[in-house]
Amino acid sequence: MTKKTQKLILDIVTYALLILGSVIMVGPFLWMVSTSFKLPADQFTRTLIPPTWTLENFRDLFAVDIDFPLLFFNSTYISIFIAIGQLITCAMAAFCFAVVKFKGRNLLFTLLLITLMIPSQVTLIPNFIIFKLLGLIGTSVPLWLPAFWGGAFGTFLLRQYFLTIPRDLVDAARMDGASLFRIFWDIYMPLSKPALAALVIFTFQGAWNDLLHPLVYMPAVPNTTLTVGLAFFQQQLTLGGKFTVLMAGALISILPLVIVFFLAQKQFIEGIALSGVKR
Amino acid sequence: MKKILFPILMVIVLLLTACGGKTGTTGGGPVTITFSAWGAPEELAVWKQIVADFEAANPNITVNVEVSDWGAYWDKLKTQLAANTPPDIFAMDAPLFLDYQSRGVLLNLQPYIDKNPDMLKDVYPQTLSAYQTPDGYYGLPRDFQTIVLFYNKDMFDAASVPYPTADWTWDDLRAAARQLTKDTNGDGKIDQYGFVFDQWDMEPGWSEAIWAYGGDIVSADHTKTLIGDPAARQAWQLLSDMVFVDKSVPDANTIGQYGGDLFQAKVAAMTPMGHWAVPGYNAGGFKYDAVPMPKGPAGHATSVNSAGFVVAKVTKYPQEAFDFIKFVLSQSGQTRLAELGFACPVLKTVAESPIFLQQSGSTLNQQVFLDSLAFAHMKPVFKGYDEWASVVGDGMGAVWRGEADLNTTLNDIVTQADAVLAKNK
Amino acid sequence: MDYGLKPLGREKLSLWLMLTPTLIGLVFGVLGSIAATIALSFTHWDLLTPPKWAGVANFIALFNDPKLAKALTNTFQFSLLYVPCVVVVSLLVAVLLNRKIRGVSIFRTIYFLPAVTSAVATALVWNMIYGKDTGILNYIIEVFGGKGICWLCTDNVLLALIIVNVWGAIGEGMIIFLAGLTAVPREYYEAAMLDGAGGSQQFFHITLPLVTPSIFFQTLMSTINAFQAYDYIYMLTRRGQGDSSFPVVVYSIYRNAWTFFNYGGASAQAIELAIFVILLMAFYFWLEKRYVVYE
Repeated sequence: MTKKTQKLILDIVTYALLILGSVIMVGPFLWMVSTSFKLPADQFTRTLIPPTWTLENFRDLFAVDIDFPLLFFNSTYISIFIAIGQLITCAMAAFCFAVVKFKGRNLLFTLLLITLMIPSQVTLIPNFIIFKLLGLIGTSVPLWLPAFWGGAFGTFLLRQYFLTIPRDLVDAARMDGASLFRIFWDIYMPLSKPALAALVIFTFQGAWNDLLHPLVYMPAVPNTTLTVGLAFFQQQLTLGGKFTVLMAGALISILPLVIVFFLAQKQFIEGIALSGVKR
Repeated sequence: MKKILFPILMVIVLLLTACGGKTGTTGGGPVTITFSAWGAPEELAVWKQIVADFEAANPNITVNVEVSDWGAYWDKLKTQLAANTPPDIFAMDAPLFLDYQSRGVLLNLQPYIDKNPDMLKDVYPQTLSAYQTPDGYYGLPRDFQTIVLFYNKDMFDAASVPYPTADWTWDDLRAAARQLTKDTNGDGKIDQYGFVFDQWDMEPGWSEAIWAYGGDIVSADHTKTLIGDPAARQAWQLLSDMVFVDKSVPDANTIGQYGGDLFQAKVAAMTPMGHWAVPGYNAGGFKYDAVPMPKGPAGHATSVNSAGFVVAKVTKYPQEAFDFIKFVLSQSGQTRLAELGFACPVLKTVAESPIFLQQSGSTLNQQVFLDSLAFAHMKPVFKGYDEWASVVGDGMGAVWRGEADLNTTLNDIVTQADAVLAKNK
Repeated sequence: MDYGLKPLGREKLSLWLMLTPTLIGLVFGVLGSIAATIALSFTHWDLLTPPKWAGVANFIALFNDPKLAKALTNTFQFSLLYVPCVVVVSLLVAVLLNRKIRGVSIFRTIYFLPAVTSAVATALVWNMIYGKDTGILNYIIEVFGGKGICWLCTDNVLLALIIVNVWGAIGEGMIIFLAGLTAVPREYYEAAMLDGAGGSQQFFHITLPLVTPSIFFQTLMSTINAFQAYDYIYMLTRRGQGDSSFPVVVYSIYRNAWTFFNYGGASAQAIELAIFVILLMAFYFWLEKRYVVYE
């Protein structure tokens, strides 16, 4: 078998698997879109194409007196702040843990990881009390300020990636007299675009979908986030079995993230491609 | 996935914001109070209307209304109470009242009520008892719910079964349910059930059955769980047979597919329910009506529950908070609430007037909710209610899934439930 | 793993400046929250009245609580199945996507889609899909001649939950592994090809070892996620007022803290959960020393 045939077979298998997997990945979303355009009476029909297309589900959603644009805006800026905060602080910390030798490095890193162990529901109260003492309840500050104090997930993620960057680059830079910060800024950051992009995506998405923290710190609709506003609708709709409207609401709630991901995704690809070339 | 990470005491900020926290406004100026409630988005609109009416009559008071869904409401409330920043007025579900009152977070309203002696004159007494304690009222009801039997007229017509009457017994209900359970589209699966009841919460179903058979839920002093007593077991057996023998009641997994209320989803022909479901049923596009819950060997029995208000003990504006409550309990407040359509007004004059009895958009026999008060038992109110209810609900879940035997499970449930009661004495 | 640059002179300042935000977060994170959790686990606290000392009562209660035992069993079973599935499947997807084929960015987007969406939203559609009589999944099975099963019934619920959770996590793992795979320098492959090494040899001797840092990370994170999995599980198995037919430990913690006025007990449970995860983590770190390759 020639090398070419080998590659061809491998390619076919690859495509087949990927396509099959794609159907599974995307299927539920297709179902979600499909149901949100169906008439309530048709909500259980087993066809992907709605027997009758309708926009009434979306109209039902917006008919309620809720300031969607404000909710949307809040979710957006809060998630952006959080992503920025994490990007900066986790990258710096990850660099220190991965590249710099200092006393207590391993201990500190382990402690950091341990903070991942406790579920957020339990730490909510002590945190709430702290912010209440600072008079920040009702504002968005408790949601994004903590992002500027590092994070275990982000630091861990970037540290793993930083560890894969070849030492010789660093040693060469060192011999040229580069300072720690320059090594961080001029070598590690540019070379880590894929991991940084991944971190931004994960952080933004986690922030966007968070329900518990906005609920507690910004309880009053409409000055709250999209997730809280939507949860408000879902309760009633679920009880009533109004699946078409529920799906419409779910669709609206995930659309912004999907769009952001499409946009960030391009950056991400460039990042990967560039880093491949550089090496 | 990703969690928001731990906040910190910013030393610098602490130094800059001396003492942190807000200072209260001095008395005499404009006052702002917060009212927090659970509800559907539609209820938010009506509350805003009530608030607008109140603010018009009380120009120096501003009320901020927050409405959340049921689950979010309690999480938020407990967090706020834990940090000592609760809303000034918040909504209370009667069974949970003692959990909060016994922990000292509620304001005693008695002194304020005493200054308004006629305030409660016209309120249905059955709705008041839940909020009474030896030293007075720590809360007041704002509306009540009695459970009645709803039935889908279209399904009855299609099956040529006569409508339920006020004289029905549980056996009549069982017989009719059998006739109304069918496979309407011939695909071999039952898609219409005669009867559905909530398999977790006692209010829409099993408490009524137990009372109708002469049993009870807990002892009057809240120390013993009585749902395993002989009379109650007869009621459980009836319900269980309807699920497993007649198969006229769907199991938990079937119910989950349809969202929760199978009557609203037009999958079940009858259900015990309260007035809160009426707006949803009105929008359901089917003809329906209601009769009182059926009789058992011990006569008629149903459940009465109420949503009420309580005031936070640490509120800075007790008088204003009370004024708001007084307004909602007044003729005009209760009229607005009746417009909501979600519950029954506690003020007799409003409840027995056309405002409540003839609501537009519905041919429902509203009178039945009022008549049911005559034989209604109060939904139990005791400390530890949530934990007790989850012991029962979780335990019975296995029975309704067909995985456990009714009688042995009841034995276990009663033991565990009694332990919860003992813990909370 | 002893590598490290030593900070020279004034660089010590840079070092500490870079670490300070994390340090503050860490110190107060540990003090503010974890310490509080540990402290509270020795109390009875109902959130509304001041905490009362409970000694080790909450910890003893851990062993007598049948509900907690059930939750622990469920959590362990779930994690045991979830972690290998996620790591293997997302690694496979990443490897496939790392090849030079067309349409890579489309596939990448498709595979990441579930991870971008909120579990609360997508659980709603999965609930519909899994419907015993009304769901599309059973319909598809029957069209192919099989017999639909009750996905969310006790017999099959674990499988159903694993499917949904893995589905939702593949995207994350894929991104991690893709980032790790692209970090493998192409020269290695070129050199190997010159030496006559075939595809699978390249995979097992170059790719796999060099990707072990990512595998380590992903396994650890998946384990933590598995033990704390909550959203999908709750949305698909909830019954009545906050009940669930497949309770997991986080669910029990949540209920004790927020519904049963038992914050102290909830804290004790959280600590128990954390200890299990820490033990697993220690095991993973031991494996890291032996198997993970850093250049």
